[in-house]
Amino acid sequence: MTETAASPDQMRFSDALAELESIVTALESGQMDLEDSLARYERGVALLRACQARLTEAEQKVTMLMGELDSDEGADEA
Amino acid sequence: MSDAPRALTVTEAMTLAKRTLEGVPLRVLGEVSELTDRSGYKAIYFTLTDGSSVMPCLMWRDAFELAGVPIRDGLLVDIGGALTVYPPKGRMQFQVRSLQAAGEGALRMQVAALGRRLEAEGLMRPERRRPLPEYPERIALVTSPRGKAVHDVIRTLRRRYPLAELLIAGVTVEGAGAVEAIVGGLRAAGASGADVVILGRGGGSYEDLMPFNDEAVVRAIAACPVPVVTGIGHEPDTSLSDMVADLRASTPTAAAEAVAPSLDELESRLRAIRRMLGRALLHNARRDAHRLAVLRARPVFCDRAVLSAVAAQRLDAAASGLARALPGPLARDRTRVRVAAERLGASTIRALDRGRTELRHGAERLEGLSPLGILARGYAVCYAGDGTTVIRSASALTPGDRVRVRLHSGDAGCVVETVTDEGANTP
Repeated sequence: MTETAASPDQMRFSDALAELESIVTALESGQMDLEDSLARYERGVALLRACQARLTEAEQKVTMLMGELDSDEGADEA
Repeated sequence: MSDAPRALTVTEAMTLAKRTLEGVPLRVLGEVSELTDRSGYKAIYFTLTDGSSVMPCLMWRDAFELAGVPIRDGLLVDIGGALTVYPPKGRMQFQVRSLQAAGEGALRMQVAALGRRLEAEGLMRPERRRPLPEYPERIALVTSPRGKAVHDVIRTLRRRYPLAELLIAGVTVEGAGAVEAIVGGLRAAGASGADVVILGRGGGSYEDLMPFNDEAVVRAIAACPVPVVTGIGHEPDTSLSDMVADLRASTPTAAAEAVAPSLDELESRLRAIRRMLGRALLHNARRDAHRLAVLRARPVFCDRAVLSAVAAQRLDAAASGLARALPGPLARDRTRVRVAAERLGASTIRALDRGRTELRHGAERLEGLSPLGILARGYAVCYAGDGTTVIRSASALTPGDRVRVRLHSGDAGCVVETVTDEGANTP
């Protein structure tokens, strides 16, 4: 396991994806022994699970910086 | 009839008409049609129309080139000059002295001029365009809080990429105050921590879109610290905002699609990563298993005779370990050392033998040089009567002298009887 690996749930989605990709690259390099491979694989699976959960659970958050949103959903059809 | 004015010739009448008309300078607004602009001609010709009347026009080429207005059919123009008559044909036409685009045409020309200025400044250089973040965390939207555009973007992002937070700067995008509002919205979006900004509005007339051609808005886009994507729905027109934006999308919806990956894409990417992870792990495990199998196939591990005795097994395991620990080059070195040691041993023995022989010869030679050795071969030494001076020549003696003769063993006192001097015949 890497020194101070962040908990996958705390990471930015893009960082988690980037780490996942680096893990795949490292595993595919074939430079790693079985123990390291397993540790990386486990970390990868945890990251994957977190990313997947993020995707399925994500709910759009909308914040107004300026102005008032015309929340009339009728505008949706306009 | 004599009171009546004299009848004019046709030429006189046409000349009168020509003078009268030319004396009245006019400005006329109308749309260009039937434009004839051939490089060989001294003038360009077109018909000006307002939909119900038409007026044939001519403009001398040097005046036209001076005006610098690229006219085309359909362009609204404001022309100055006067009507005139061409007597040989009896035809009336407007001789154009000044020409300006009017209405939207004028706006377009202003915009084009500003565009050229900003382009010369380098604001539209392709290398200024920044790449969009692959997975934005925060997306800011600058648009009207009312109408279709804002909801199009919200809906598109909710469907494609609900992961990102959407920050909306709802601003007036047309009419008075629109430029200031859009500039303020862009600044707020740039400072909001968003990693990409969408500037959007729905379609409209060319005039409605003028704020997006305003220099202040264009500069605010260029100055935005994060990439700006425009979705200003007024195809086929391109605003100056579109030209300085990092990416131009045709509508607000298209802009939302451009800034966010879709959930489908993301999920298939995650699936691909999952497959690659599994495959890579399996590959590494197989590789290690193969290495193990190669080791197991070594005679040490499969010859029962060797394995039968525990001691022998341990010995062989140790030997095999040693063999592994001594890879090729090292093993070769070991052999070389052994051979060298053997050769060194042999040559030392040879050198010793040689040394001994030499020593023996040397000792013999040394013995030959010793006076005792000489005496041993039968020589004798003759000393004078004092017993210490060696007599080397008979001339040193006279008969009757007493001498001592040293033999190999013992000595004798003698008396000289005769002396025969042989001169040069010295020892």
